[in-house]
Amino acid sequence: MAVTDLRPPPGGLRARLPGAAGLRRAAGRALLAGPVISFAFVLGLWAAVGAAGIVPETIFPAPWSVWAATAEMWSMGTLQKDLSVSLSRAAVGFAIGASLGVSLGLLTGRVPVIRMLLNPFLTVLRPIPAIALVPVAIVWFGIGEGSKYFVISYTVFLTVWFNTHHGMEYVPETYLRASRSLGASKLREFLTVIVPAAAPYIFAGLRLGVALAFLSLVAAELSGASSGIGYRLQEARQYIRTDRMFSLLIILGLLGAAVDLAVHRIGKRLVHWEQS
Amino acid sequence: MTDHAQGHVRVEDVSIRFDGKSGPVTALAPTSVELKPGTFTALIGPSGCGKSTLMNAIGGFVAPSSGRITLDGQPIEGPSDKVGVIFQQYGLFPWFTALGNVRFGLKRLGLSRREEIERAREALDEVGLGAHAGKFPQQLSGGMKQRVAIARTFAFGPKVLLMDEPFGALDAQTRLVMHELLLKVWQKHRATVLFVTHDVDEALLLADDLRVMSQAPGRLLRHYQLEQARPRSFSRSGSDLLDIRDEVIGLLHPRSMLAEPA
Repeated sequence: MAVTDLRPPPGGLRARLPGAAGLRRAAGRALLAGPVISFAFVLGLWAAVGAAGIVPETIFPAPWSVWAATAEMWSMGTLQKDLSVSLSRAAVGFAIGASLGVSLGLLTGRVPVIRMLLNPFLTVLRPIPAIALVPVAIVWFGIGEGSKYFVISYTVFLTVWFNTHHGMEYVPETYLRASRSLGASKLREFLTVIVPAAAPYIFAGLRLGVALAFLSLVAAELSGASSGIGYRLQEARQYIRTDRMFSLLIILGLLGAAVDLAVHRIGKRLVHWEQS
Repeated sequence: MTDHAQGHVRVEDVSIRFDGKSGPVTALAPTSVELKPGTFTALIGPSGCGKSTLMNAIGGFVAPSSGRITLDGQPIEGPSDKVGVIFQQYGLFPWFTALGNVRFGLKRLGLSRREEIERAREALDEVGLGAHAGKFPQQLSGGMKQRVAIARTFAFGPKVLLMDEPFGALDAQTRLVMHELLLKVWQKHRATVLFVTHDVDEALLLADDLRVMSQAPGRLLRHYQLEQARPRSFSRSGSDLLDIRDEVIGLLHPRSMLAEPA
């Protein structure tokens, strides 16, 4: 090879320094240690308050009561059913909202006429919270699954649209010039240049969309549900079962965080060229 | 690969104006220049003088406000695969590997998958990157990225190659290696090259024609024809190069640029 690059590979020198790998492992442990310490701390505090018996159980149940309530709902089979009902609502709502959001974002981002016709309208829709749509959803779709899908997909749609649209708008000019000077057709440019260039934004939108699907799930289940985590929370209120409420809230939080992490991981793999 | 009779660029009385905040701004004063087929022209001038604007016009990215630009007699009406572009910031697609980037430029040839990969590999071998075909741009150094860009552009055989300060972001050592490589690849493919730079030495070592541009609004001040054999160096290529170098540096000095008659 006549030509050699004289520069060291990026990170090459640093990688050869002794102890660099050890430092990275230590950093990894610190990253994991953070959440563990945080949860242990809160749980310890909670247990201490429960053991002291200073707050009535109906107001603020102890960790073991919440655990017992969880086991009770599990053995009755309601927990499994509620989870599967709620998760499928969130999934269907997310799928509808996300696919509409991405499609429309691709259009408003690249087609000036569509952008002109729709953007002001969609911008006005964005501040309307999901819960405010529940009455409309019930009138339009009744109290069946339709109204739940509507409320969830509405919130997911707007966020995914917004992010996709902005990703499409900020495709770096150099990519477009490179693509055009390489003789790419409009279709190839769109599919293999513009969409990948916007992909980091689209994924950021999808990640927010997943979080919103969970957030709007409880609002959606206010529209006359007979099962689901949100419904079960309402029911627990009628019987003043604070222990069940806590259990359901914690499950909702853990599920949301797990799904968010999963989406983040998938996004990182698919959009591997983004450094952040 | 490229027909020697082709790649003839004529810029005739082209001026370019943009709409600025306070009225139109002239980026390029009426300019005429001819790039003969297969020649290497370096365009040098102070920053903001309009040399990139002229290049963008030849690339079809900016329409002239007056005058016309032709390539082999045909007016340039937009970007096309006849005119390849090498950008300072590489312009590589980070979602494709080095090989994928080169293949992107070959798509329009409608080759079979195997032929396409084969030709892309050849192009990468030519710039000494055969072993890095599967790497993504962000895994490569600046010099390697620009080599991928050069391979990508030469692979589909453009008639004209525009280079906008292609080695501006590289360190001095890498730059020397890139000069050698560029001359080697160019001498093989013989595209007409327009090379924008603000480095006088780089221009003198590479070009057949050196054109010096004035401060904004840009116009061409001088034209030097360099006939010294390549590879050139200031110690080997005689004192002519050094004389021209002094003159050009003098011309680029802010005071003398003001004194130069229009």
